Amino acid sequence: MTKDLFLSSLKEQLELDTYLTLDTRLKELDEWDSMSGMLLMAFISDEFGKEITADDLKNITDVNSLIDIVGPSHFV
Amino acid sequence: MKAMLKAVEYVYPDYRLTNDDLKKEFPDYDFTKFEEKVGVHARYVTAPDETALDLAVKACDKLFLKVDKDSIDYIIYCTQSPEYILPTTSCILQERLGLSTKVGAFDFNLGCSGYVYGLSLANGLICSQQASNVLLITAESYTKYLHQGDKSNRAIFGDAATASLISTSSDNGFGKFLFGTDGSGYAQLIIKNGGTKYKIEKDPKLKRYGSDNLYTDNHLYMNGPEIFNFTSKVIPVFTNELLEENQKSINDIQQFIYHQANAFMLDFLRKKIKIEKDKFFINLKDGGNTVSNTIPIALKKYFSENKFDQPQNILIAGFGVGLSWAGGLIRTFNL
Repeated sequence: MTKDLFLSSLKEQLELDTYLTLDTRLKELDEWDSMSGMLLMAFISDEFGKEITADDLKNITDVNSLIDIVGPSHFV
Repeated sequence: MKAMLKAVEYVYPDYRLTNDDLKKEFPDYDFTKFEEKVGVHARYVTAPDETALDLAVKACDKLFLKVDKDSIDYIIYCTQSPEYILPTTSCILQERLGLSTKVGAFDFNLGCSGYVYGLSLANGLICSQQASNVLLITAESYTKYLHQGDKSNRAIFGDAATASLISTSSDNGFGKFLFGTDGSGYAQLIIKNGGTKYKIEKDPKLKRYGSDNLYTDNHLYMNGPEIFNFTSKVIPVFTNELLEENQKSINDIQQFIYHQANAFMLDFLRKKIKIEKDKFFINLKDGGNTVSNTIPIALKKYFSENKFDQPQNILIAGFGVGLSWAGGLIRTFNL
């Protein structure tokens, strides 16, 4: 998946109004809430077959850090 | 001796709290998105002077419109909202219902896995000829444990009680059951104070979690993402184990009725297990997550909307606080 497509899919799956960049700090968005964490876990599992844990969720800062957790090899 | 689930009734408290009501308290929160994802439109809340036992009495009275209450010889009462620390709530229920003093009665403390445990115990009591007509109650008033500023949990949880009758039967209404326990997650869904370890604090520290939800250690705390994570990891594998143990495939099951925790999570599980939509029950729009009550409520709704002239294979599973999970195959109809 391209990083651009990942950014737009993420925006759609988390139902965000904010346009995302790789540097966007997800949990600092006004729209981020406890449901977003659940939506994110499901999206990553469906899309990449990767289970992110609640601990992973704690460590996520910007979109780049999420890409590191998913595994950079998934992205071109 | 064989047993079958013969009847189920449920009640909610009178007071219905809708998303529009909550929106007035939390104007900045997107309840439209909440309803669409989590699937809850309204939940019912006990009055300050109303307890889970009061609801249980009503649910039993409803059941006794079709079941002879003098036939009951055992009460199993599942609750995490007991009337007192002691005595056991089921003893008080025996008196409130005017049941025979010869009944066996005990409470057990489990949440979302509770109803499945209750059925398993009732089946065991009947098969070992210790009882013939077991009254299984689930009764919860979690709303009393929630901080008024805990928007997420106030939107998810509701109060309810159910009464089920499990009786001797010529057909076998129970397949194999399996259980699971992982106490390492005990703190993920907890009311820390008020048991024997920590007293209720007079002036507790106000804490925050997730999207600006408030709580204290006197209140219920749930780590939503951690519970979601546990469920999505454990339940798909557990479902396959249940099917294997019962020598059934997905096609042999008429309906999967799982704990109604949250519609999004249930649909996520459904897709992971690869079950068609019409075989997987999701309906918590009216009532929300009522803990151990959701499975019996869902069973009652399913069999009210669908009529059969012979028992159906239903796979049930409950999972949550503990962490604790349980599942089994039941064969029943006409509840």
